[in-house]
Amino acid sequence: MKKFIAKSDESKKILNIVQVSANLPVNVVIRGEGGVGKKLLAKEILPNAISMDGKFLENSIINNSINIDQYKELIITNIHQVLNKKEFLNNLINIKIVATSKTLIHDIEEQFAIKVDISSLNNRKEDLDEISNIYISNANEIYNSNVSLDSLKIDISENGISLKKSIYKNTLLNSMSEEDIETALENFISTKLDENNTYKYFLKVIEVPLLNIAKVKFKSQLQMATKLNLNRITLRKKIEQYFGNNND
Amino acid sequence: MTDFYEQLLEYDLNPYFVFNSNGRIKSFNKEAEFLFNFVSIKELFEIAITHASKSYGFEKKFINIQYKKQKFYAILVAYVNDDEIALRLYKEVSQIKKINIDKNYQLCNIYTLINLSKNTSLVNSPLKTEEVFDVSIPELKININKFLIILNSVFTYFTNNENLKLTVYLKTGEYEIINEKKYYIVCLEFLSNKEIVLDSINLNTNTTVNIFSKNNKLELEIPLLT
Repeated sequence: MKKFIAKSDESKKILNIVQVSANLPVNVVIRGEGGVGKKLLAKEILPNAISMDGKFLENSIINNSINIDQYKELIITNIHQVLNKKEFLNNLINIKIVATSKTLIHDIEEQFAIKVDISSLNNRKEDLDEISNIYISNANEIYNSNVSLDSLKIDISENGISLKKSIYKNTLLNSMSEEDIETALENFISTKLDENNTYKYFLKVIEVPLLNIAKVKFKSQLQMATKLNLNRITLRKKIEQYFGNNND
Repeated sequence: MTDFYEQLLEYDLNPYFVFNSNGRIKSFNKEAEFLFNFVSIKELFEIAITHASKSYGFEKKFINIQYKKQKFYAILVAYVNDDEIALRLYKEVSQIKKINIDKNYQLCNIYTLINLSKNTSLVNSPLKTEEVFDVSIPELKININKFLIILNSVFTYFTNNENLKLTVYLKTGEYEIINEKKYYIVCLEFLSNKEIVLDSINLNTNTTVNIFSKNNKLELEIPLLT
């Protein structure tokens, strides 16, 4: 089972709260943006409970397609999306609930004895470092590579979700051999090759990244032309074609 | 015969007090003695002289007075000379609440709940808390869910205050009677630097917890059910 990573002071405090809550007959609501670890925290409280989406459960109760009495404990995700929250909770009165929510849920918050707010990864530097290290280590193992975190561009706009995605994606890209890239290109070309995409289109796919990197590496067009062994006029034309006249 | 009337007053359910002209207490009954736990003689004397009739006589007034759990709906002020004045308070008796100590009442450590509530309610709060805890208080039975909701509401109320002193102690000489059984009382006393407006605190009264406030002090009383 994946565990909630608690390296920052905030997370340690939160983990302590949920661990105490696990032994108490109380309902808990965990609030925070997507990808901050709400579900993992919920699992710390109810490790054996099943997890259901709030809106799905609400519909199932309305349609009588679920026997709610069979549950003693439940993890309910996205409770903020439930339409009639008070009535929804009245149906779950004998069940220990751990709910997750992306927003404040004013009308039913009083029914939760414990309210936990978890901030974005941006504010939890120690957690971000630890989680990033775990993801990169796993990604390196999967792709049989040795990519370091410093060389990767990570994305935490959606916290853990985008972080994982960006690390795995970038690790994969960084670990690709020439052969892999050729295979990837072949796959790309085979899906895109039709009457709408001309030779010029595929050339652009190759040339734009090449020129971008060469520009960063060799600084001037003179250097670029020399190192790439390309006619300066041809290079200038290509730069104008892809990046416009303002690009020197 | 006098003795009989004195005995009648002594065992009356309503408290009475007789003061001299300086506000010193001259006589009182058993119920009055109990009331001294919550209210000063000076305060009671003030009530007597404020509501006394303009000339000698007996003045009855229907006013609501509350001292902690004791509620009164009327008073009688009597004076027939300049040396003494009497005050009698009429107790409001509501139907005795039967509390169902069901499976929701579970043994727990009161300090665990206090810390839990404090940690979840005072996130990012500038409030400085001072705590004086009597660690000898044993685990007690309480409806944890309802009690935590009350505690959260109390801590949230103090969020924007500067200071809060929380004292937890076992009350001496006071008991709570629940379902005809006597229980000791654990008191959580919140002392703030601002006056407390109880109306602003969302309190679930359907529990064994009693809530009182006066000036800048808020008290939660919990029977020590074990």
